[in-house]
Amino acid sequence: MPGEVALLLSVALLVTVIAALFSRSMSMTLISMFYASLVVGVIFTIYQGILIGLLHIIIFAGAVSVMLLTAVLMTGETDLGIGKRSLAALLSAVTILIVGAASYSLFSTLPGEVSESSTTSVLQFIWTFRPWDLLILVIIFASAMTVVVNLLSKEQ
Amino acid sequence: MLTDQTIFMTTGAVLIFLGVFAISYSRNLLKTIISFQVVVFGANLGLFASGLGSSSNLMANTLVLFSIVVGGSVEAVGLALIVLVHKKYGTLDPGKIRRLKN
Repeated sequence: MPGEVALLLSVALLVTVIAALFSRSMSMTLISMFYASLVVGVIFTIYQGILIGLLHIIIFAGAVSVMLLTAVLMTGETDLGIGKRSLAALLSAVTILIVGAASYSLFSTLPGEVSESSTTSVLQFIWTFRPWDLLILVIIFASAMTVVVNLLSKEQ
Repeated sequence: MLTDQTIFMTTGAVLIFLGVFAISYSRNLLKTIISFQVVVFGANLGLFASGLGSSSNLMANTLVLFSIVVGGSVEAVGLALIVLVHKKYGTLDPGKIRRLKN
């Protein structure tokens, strides 16, 4: 039963993402990306990640969707150009091969031998200094918003 | 045996593939940002799935939290840059934006 739910959610996610990426209509793309964000958030929420699920929905289905819509309205771009498909397929296949090789070399141990303690000890500071972790997130978000305000402000 | 972890990790890998493909394929900067968002989705899903098998997945949740915040920030800055580029050049086709100075 849980496997079927995961499969259903994954298929829904893939369908919405494919509809978003390979549609020529910008409105269709935006609507599909909104639903894809919702599906990812639902996946996180169902599998015991309530906080990140809610955060994902708030940021991607809420803020980023509104920003995308604003950018579309400001630029007036509705025609999505198409490039060379063969070159794109080659580039993405090479990227996936490189990422796969790197992942295999990093995580080539058997599943039973993955030591959780070693990873935990390396990143223990995150839990020891939890306020620092949150502070870093606030700094990243605030600096990004400052950059956006600076970029969109008028020059004197 | 097809577990939830396997399903989500495969979906994440497919999303990353689709995103990289669309980044290379599109000739519109807005579409590039949307494709980058798909790559972020795939990375988030893969990170989250990596913590599903263990008893405590707090580490994976923390990494996903970082990824969400950084991804949202990068997309906000990217969209602001796109609006500026459109104001300056009147197009969002990267092939037509040749002069990056001044």
